[in-house]
Amino acid sequence: MVNVLHSKSFKRRQKKIVPYLLILPVVIYYIFFWVRPVINVLVGSFTDINTGGFTLGNFAMVFQDPTFWPAFWNTAIIVVVSVTLEFFAALALALLINRKFWGSSYFLFLVIIPMALPAVAAAAMWQTGLTPHGWLNSLLFHLGILDEGQKIFWLGGYDATKARLLAIIILVDAWTVIPSVMIILLAGLQNIPKEAEEAGYVFGGNYFTVLRKITIPMLSSTIQTAVILRLISAIQIWLIIVLLLGFGRLPVLVERIVYYHEEVPGLDISYQMATGYTVIVSILVSIAAFFYLYVSGAFKHREDAV
Amino acid sequence: MTSKSINKAARKTIFYLFVTTLLVGILLPVYFLVTLSFLSTREAYQFPLPMTPALKTDLKLGYGERGYLLSVWERSEDDYATVLDTNDLDKMRVYIQSILGTKITDEELAEQIARLESSGEEEVFFTQPRNLLYNYETFFRVTRDAVPALMRSIQIALITIVISLVIGGMAGYAFARYLFRGRDALKFSVLFVRMFPGVAIAIPMVLILANMGLYDQPMGLALIYSVGSIGLTVWITASIFLGIPVSMEEAAQVFGATKLQSFVRITLPLAFPGLAAAAMYAFLGAWNETVAAIILTQFNPTFSVVVYQTLLGATGQVNLAAAGGIAMAVPAVFFTFFIRKYINQMWGGMRV
Amino acid sequence: MAEVYLNHLTKRFGKNVVAVNDLNLQVHDREFLVLLGPSGCGKTTTMRMIAGLEEVTEGTIFLGDREITDLPPRKRNVSMVFQNYAVWPHMTVYDNIAYPLRLKKMSKQEIDKIVKDVAEMTSIGELLDRYPTQLSGGQQQRVAVTRAIAVYPEVFLMDEPLSNLDAKLRVAMRTELKAIHAKTEATTIFVTHDQSEAMSVADRIVIMREGEIEQMGTPEEVYDNSANMFVADFIGTPPTNFFDGEIRRANGTLHVVNPRFDMALSPENAALLQAYGKRDLVIGVRPENILLVDEADALLSTDVLVVEPQGSHQVISFEFANKIVKIVAPTHPPVSAGDRIHIDFNQRSLHFFDPQTTQAIDRPESG
Ligand SMILES: Nc1ncnc2c1ncn2[C@@H]1O[C@H](COP(=O)(O)OP(=O)(O)OP(=O)(O)O)[C@@H](O)[C@H]1O
Ligand SMILES: [Mg+2]
Repeated sequence: MVNVLHSKSFKRRQKKIVPYLLILPVVIYYIFFWVRPVINVLVGSFTDINTGGFTLGNFAMVFQDPTFWPAFWNTAIIVVVSVTLEFFAALALALLINRKFWGSSYFLFLVIIPMALPAVAAAAMWQTGLTPHGWLNSLLFHLGILDEGQKIFWLGGYDATKARLLAIIILVDAWTVIPSVMIILLAGLQNIPKEAEEAGYVFGGNYFTVLRKITIPMLSSTIQTAVILRLISAIQIWLIIVLLLGFGRLPVLVERIVYYHEEVPGLDISYQMATGYTVIVSILVSIAAFFYLYVSGAFKHREDAV
Repeated sequence: MTSKSINKAARKTIFYLFVTTLLVGILLPVYFLVTLSFLSTREAYQFPLPMTPALKTDLKLGYGERGYLLSVWERSEDDYATVLDTNDLDKMRVYIQSILGTKITDEELAEQIARLESSGEEEVFFTQPRNLLYNYETFFRVTRDAVPALMRSIQIALITIVISLVIGGMAGYAFARYLFRGRDALKFSVLFVRMFPGVAIAIPMVLILANMGLYDQPMGLALIYSVGSIGLTVWITASIFLGIPVSMEEAAQVFGATKLQSFVRITLPLAFPGLAAAAMYAFLGAWNETVAAIILTQFNPTFSVVVYQTLLGATGQVNLAAAGGIAMAVPAVFFTFFIRKYINQMWGGMRV
Repeated sequence: MAEVYLNHLTKRFGKNVVAVNDLNLQVHDREFLVLLGPSGCGKTTTMRMIAGLEEVTEGTIFLGDREITDLPPRKRNVSMVFQNYAVWPHMTVYDNIAYPLRLKKMSKQEIDKIVKDVAEMTSIGELLDRYPTQLSGGQQQRVAVTRAIAVYPEVFLMDEPLSNLDAKLRVAMRTELKAIHAKTEATTIFVTHDQSEAMSVADRIVIMREGEIEQMGTPEEVYDNSANMFVADFIGTPPTNFFDGEIRRANGTLHVVNPRFDMALSPENAALLQAYGKRDLVIGVRPENILLVDEADALLSTDVLVVEPQGSHQVISFEFANKIVKIVAPTHPPVSAGDRIHIDFNQRSLHFFDPQTTQAIDRPESG
């Protein structure tokens, strides 16, 4: 044994193990606190709650749930619109801050405050703002846009169309999320050597051609990171919706999970629905993420740096 | 001044005007939340809401049917509004303190009553300072365990930071410094974890944590929060370590340091700013999380759960909820402020 | 102070990349040895194996009589100047120099004395309180050197320490490094791909290509007696000119014949080639050994393509067999593009190579 330990080949093999040893804790951690619950949910989703046998019935129930398709489409709309909107707004902000004007570091801090604001605080903020007596109407009144006694029912009233609710949710969510997308893009922008862009100007590009032809292509792997992270979390939106609108008014997929688990507890159906929805959501998120990575070419060229 | 420099100055002015407008637009909601948290309960339910909290309250005392008549100056109406008609001075004092959010003592009130009686006038006017922090005091006093919940939240956030930085940082270092089989696949799969909804993990975790005796415990929540933040920490720290030239470590080793020494004395200090920013992400994630906390706590809620309940629950008073929200946001914003310089380095790898 | 022995040293990355291939080398005590070669030839890898930063695939490394092949870097008693200096940005210059000494558990007073002494030697005494970001590239480089000499290593490794400096500073630092070496007398291995740098500082040069040693020797040896066409081409600016030729015997003497010239060999050269069995050869002529002569004595005549005046001399180019040939000539007489010149070779400094092997045709004395 001593011999083996001291032999050269053993030492060298030992060195090869080092990276795996460093990663091992994460793997163990995930096995305990991720794989286990995920398997629980997976097994549960295929288990007949009465007989304990295998079934696809839980999924069938989810698809028969009258709120499934509305929830699916609401989620889809929110994801497409908000990821697009947030990306462009974040890019614009990042480009602005990257100009390093006087005071830009404080500007940066102020702009990322929404990111630091906890969801419940943000919800409190918008809830108090969007009620008929809220500060948004008050502000409009003080600005003379609303007359005495006139009020806008932002979230309420029978005339609240789904489109309006979606629009409000998307805007409110964007307010919270844009800073975190912006930070990733900003970091990427700061890693682009000045010369690259300057060369673009020297060869006669204007701001927008340089942006399109040089800056954005050089930023592509950063953009991928930002969008993929955002995409994954956008599909899982629900808390802000429930805090502003309560359950059921604007159903989305993850909201359904919580709804069945928390709001109609104890029934067999609630457990079946919750696990069924969970599995479907994860499949959808994975499909969306891989689809995006495929379309954006992440599998063609991999880069080390984010 | 040449026309050129005027032109330049004008453009600069327009630029800063634009930046300021943008900033106002972004931060206006926050401003109103802050304002709301300083409003008295009476003001908070008026329409239109005042755009700034009052710093003092103008009061008027007169004689009413049942006793003394208390009126308060209404900024929106530009007039006094009668709010109370009572003989009970205690009740009046409590009303002034709680509903009007105004400082007053028994003696001060008695003094004003005496003034009214002795003056022979119909009414007397007086002004009292506002107690701007009244909502905060109330929030922490009446809300079920706000203070212990705050302590728990801090504890959870700190444990989460430690777990994710230690475990995630080790993996991040491996990804940055070693080439090995399966490296890319592994690096992508740590992000894959996020594709499974966090809420959905929390549900089966109830049983798992209960078995470990960690249900309804801060440690249990920290363990769950770390699942989400480890993945990000791995990516962030990998890019931080990638930005520190290997030769910095190698130099230390050539000059007599062990691997561990070179990491602790060279790499760690150089990575510190980036690690601090990664810690901020972990902190925000743990501090702000609400849902898993709702599911995984029973008698020991976190601060965010308490705020959530104030917001939805029967105690729901908008100005209290606002105070709770702000109380919750302050540490997070503070943390962000101190770390703002390093935030960029988190995703970029830094230049040494 | 010590000797370094590399025995059959091989380094493979993965299965296919052979960075260093069966390298055998002895570095003498107090020697200033330069590893020279084109980019990617394995210089850095060799140096990193000596430092212990890269694992050895095969072979052994000895420091004196101590085998260090598998020792961690810190146990080797070598020190190194990195190409990017690797001065630690979070430590002051003083701490950068003192940290390695602290690792050796020296006392505060000892450390202080050494730091001050070496800083004096490299004239960075006034910079000790600064942070590296407050230093120029040249100053950082000095700090890196100071840090490396402060530990009094047995072997002193430098990986292209001058490559990040501007041309003028580079030349100045060269001289300084040489002076420091004279003072410390530490065995030094210096990596560069700049041949003129190598020529000016080295006691001995090791020329590498694709992981193997092409030639080892003093600067004069590798210049005057290049072992093969690669070395002859690599060493010297402008590089050696090569002319294809064929050996013919005429009138009892040996000639080298080319479509454009016919050169009768001097007795020494003839003796050298007598032993050469083949007909085809390559003549290597250094630019300063192509002489401008009168038309009557000319080996060949040609038109000037370009003239590059250099102050002390001029570089004249002409075309020969689709290649550019360069001559280093005195500034007088002046020559300009388009002029007709008449040239001859300095027979005492010709090199002959076997075109098949590209090796030099051995002179009897260097056998
Ligand atoms: N970590 C590595 N993995 C794979 N191949 C490597 C690695 N390091 C070096 N190589 C390869 O080994 C060969 C020698 O590299 P080395 O860095 O020693 O060259 P060098 O002579 O120092 O070149 P330069 O003058 O450009 O610094 C090169 O072909 C290089 O691509
Ligand atoms: Mg090299």
